[in-house]
Amino acid sequence: MAQRTTTRKRLLGLVERWWLPVALVAAWWVASAQSTSYYFPPLRTILAVLWRDLTAGPLLYDMVVSLGNMAMGLAFAIVLGVGFGLLIGEYKAVRQATTPTLNFLRAIPPAAIVPIVIIAMGIGSAPKVFIIALTCFWPVLLNTIDGVRGISPPLVDTARAFRIPRALYFRRVLLMAALPQIMAGARIAVAVALVLMVISEFFGASVGLGFYINEAKQRFAMVETWAGTLLVGILGYLLSALFLRVEQWLLSWYFQEASASRGNAG
Amino acid sequence: MNGPHMNVSLAKPLAVNGLGKSYGAVDVIADLNMRVDPGEFICIVGPSGVGKTTLLRCLSGLAPPSRGNVTVGGAVVKEPLSEIGLVFQDYRGSLMPWMRTLENVAFPLQGRGVRKEERNRIALSCLADVGLEQAAGKYPWELSGGMQQRVAIARALAYDAHILLMDEPFGSLDAQTRLGLEDLVLDLRKRLKISVIVVTHDIDEAVYLADRVVVLAGKPATVVDVVDIDLGFDRDQIRTKSDPRFVEYRNRVLGRIMR
Repeated sequence: MAQRTTTRKRLLGLVERWWLPVALVAAWWVASAQSTSYYFPPLRTILAVLWRDLTAGPLLYDMVVSLGNMAMGLAFAIVLGVGFGLLIGEYKAVRQATTPTLNFLRAIPPAAIVPIVIIAMGIGSAPKVFIIALTCFWPVLLNTIDGVRGISPPLVDTARAFRIPRALYFRRVLLMAALPQIMAGARIAVAVALVLMVISEFFGASVGLGFYINEAKQRFAMVETWAGTLLVGILGYLLSALFLRVEQWLLSWYFQEASASRGNAG
Repeated sequence: MNGPHMNVSLAKPLAVNGLGKSYGAVDVIADLNMRVDPGEFICIVGPSGVGKTTLLRCLSGLAPPSRGNVTVGGAVVKEPLSEIGLVFQDYRGSLMPWMRTLENVAFPLQGRGVRKEERNRIALSCLADVGLEQAAGKYPWELSGGMQQRVAIARALAYDAHILLMDEPFGSLDAQTRLGLEDLVLDLRKRLKISVIVVTHDIDEAVYLADRVVVLAGKPATVVDVVDIDLGFDRDQIRTKSDPRFVEYRNRVLGRIMR
């Protein structure tokens, strides 16, 4: 009996969460089914081309290359952003020395540096990785600094009173205390990385999802353009779902504590 | 002063010599002198806001005194020492929320380079000292306030501190838990031969626990009285507190603070 109730609850939850996206896709499917417009091909045609290019065409390789660039860029951004963020957040002297420079660099729109980077670094993966890393660095860095500075004073005192050495303090106290904020920064970074992954391949590229979309557009292959765009959307959704999983796993203590204290307060 | 246990205590004597602490132009503590002998239980009592926490930060080496000094075994305290285990007023905030109980207790030992199996063994035995072995795998938020405070005590013990320094340790606990923890600390002192310094605003608690009560008052705060509590080594919540001498001591301390 109880088994059946939970199954029903879960089913109901799925329906509640999914009815709108399913309805929208269905509406698109139906509304575009008879379309003869050059610019708005039927969804069925788009999906067929997407499947064809993924299985028999260049799209799978394009996707692997793009995701590789993005993963590399994000990895650089997170490692450097967290590393510098911990140092800048913890040491006032470092903070004072770097703040003006950081404020200036941060104000440069990432898209504006794409041409320079391509001229300087050529058309391989390097400039794409660089652009993604540079742009994603900022949200990670700034959130890490905030997280470090927001550490609760009793924890700092505790670490001092028990003579926790610096390296251990950074690893097991400061990093962990800042982790919720770091993850908030990383979430922004993932979203930004997806955008820049595509944009960076619009110029000076010979492979990748952005290249696929842009190249299709230039030869007026509307269906392919739609297919590439749709794929980017799907990837974005999957990435944010994956990110949520990772966050839940890394911060389980944080979410559980938050829900426990809500329970106590109520 | 209080029996044969003194001779076997490992603790070093702690002395406060003409200690003063100012924040800017505000003098919080002025010319404070006191001494804690090995194995002694001292309560520092004073009204709220008198500067008890400031004094404790100076004693522990977390804050530098503006004048005078604190010595442990004759050496001036300049930074937190491994001889001193601190138990904070905000015990919940002093436990790392991302660490389970065992890790929290063992963490200071990791800082000392103790191997993992060894520090877990020590942490477990200290958790047993405070009656919490079964909570080793729990996170702080899964524990009650009294249990969190016991974890904090176990951590100070695991650190191998011979002087336990406690800031309003039982202030925010319910009465029953509080009495239980008072007896736990008395028992720990007896078994482990450590010195204990408790800062509190609760006069009954101070008289019940201490061998000596140091009364702080005034602005800036200084020692206005030191009361030797001659209630024996074994105390009992009901018997001791109904002893006429207990009432006498309490009234004396109260009179000193109210003045």
